[in-house]
Amino acid sequence: MPELEQTLTRIGRELDWPETPDLATSVTARLRAAGPAGTPGPAAAPPEAPPPPAERRLRRPDADKLDSRRGWGLLPPAGLRRALVLALVSLLVLAGTVFAAVPGVRDAVLEFFGLQGATVERRETLPAPPPPRPLELGTRTTLAEAGGQVAFEPLVPADPGDPDGVYVSPRAPGGELSLTYRPRAGLPRTESTRLGLLVTEIRGDLAPRLYGKLAGPAARIESLRIDGERAVWIEGAEHFFFYRAPDGNFVEDELRVAQNVLLVERGRLLVRLEGAFGLDRAVQIAESLR
Amino acid sequence: MEDRPPNEDELVARAKRGELEAYEEIVRLHQSIAFRTAWVIAGSAADAEEAAQDAFVKAHAALGRFREGAPFRPWLLAIVANEARNRVKAAGRRERLALRVAEERRPGGAVPSPEAALLDSEQRDELLAALTQLSETDREAIACRYFLELSEEETAAALGCPRGTVKSRTSRALERLRAQLEPADA
Repeated sequence: MPELEQTLTRIGRELDWPETPDLATSVTARLRAAGPAGTPGPAAAPPEAPPPPAERRLRRPDADKLDSRRGWGLLPPAGLRRALVLALVSLLVLAGTVFAAVPGVRDAVLEFFGLQGATVERRETLPAPPPPRPLELGTRTTLAEAGGQVAFEPLVPADPGDPDGVYVSPRAPGGELSLTYRPRAGLPRTESTRLGLLVTEIRGDLAPRLYGKLAGPAARIESLRIDGERAVWIEGAEHFFFYRAPDGNFVEDELRVAQNVLLVERGRLLVRLEGAFGLDRAVQIAESLR
Repeated sequence: MEDRPPNEDELVARAKRGELEAYEEIVRLHQSIAFRTAWVIAGSAADAEEAAQDAFVKAHAALGRFREGAPFRPWLLAIVANEARNRVKAAGRRERLALRVAEERRPGGAVPSPEAALLDSEQRDELLAALTQLSETDREAIACRYFLELSEEETAAALGCPRGTVKSRTSRALERLRAQLEPADA
């Protein structure tokens, strides 16, 4: 092979390819959710044919102009959103790990959202609320020192600014950084954490499913984009937060009731904002992460 | 890229009979090349993920039409590329493909791999810069043939053109790349 072609091949092998998502799991879940209708056969639609209505995904042409943080860029027609969410976004197989691992959760997953570093599942029923526990955020440190203790450059929200507390924990591969903010104007006290804002950061690419969220039917779950990156908002008292052990099972001691939470991807980081504030405020904080 | 397994024909036959586990295995075998092909075309990881996912679902629905014994990958990549292109069309724009070399991913970060050491970083940067000057069709041809290491048949499927066109397009793209690099070499 001539030199230029060899060089191109070598470059291809060194390229910073985006990480391949677990399509085997998500595709199988979609096919299971579709039921027998999804069974292959001679009468099935050719690949060139448009998808059946329930599977159609349309990109709103002016989505970016409308509001860059709303929607994931691919929005179904309004009337189909519910059907799409139930039939297609429910990644049952992935959720099956938790299905088997979380005591008291034996019903079907109603919705499933996956981010780099976290999963969010909506269930018909939830386990009994665990007793309140201390947060166990790790070792107290300073912003200046935190950078050397985790495998990433810490992000701090310019709004509200420097945190009152900085903690580092080895719980996540690459470390977990927590920033705590006492309640103040714009950051009301949160029952679950007694803080105004709790920010946690992990390398989502190193811990693909470390954070888990379980939400009940009444909780609001919304997927959106913030600065072009994926995010999920969970609002309402009916949800839990837990950590997954490396074997995929949930860590029983670390299931706790959570307040409103915004999970947002920032490059390879997953940032989690928890507080008693609403979505607009959460997005404001997320947009100020530097 | 992943090896093609010896029992792929069997997996396809089982998937055609409705065995979802067999199809899951097929997806697992091809998800990386499918996702990367979609990324090369769409330029965005989010679009590539959705395109590849939809493509696998559609391929499953169309399995009944797939001729057993035929190579699966070109057939699949045609569907993947079609999905990725549809997203580009629907968006009315294409994300600029961010081609970077993954130096920071090396374990330990200290010693480059022997392959990487062979590559002079200036030459590499120059080549990547020259690639951005190519037309979209030329760049896709180069990316499919050399970065994704697709065969001519697979590239033809991904680009939606005959194999002869792949040859001529690739050769033209290489010529243009050489021309771009020439002044620096002189």
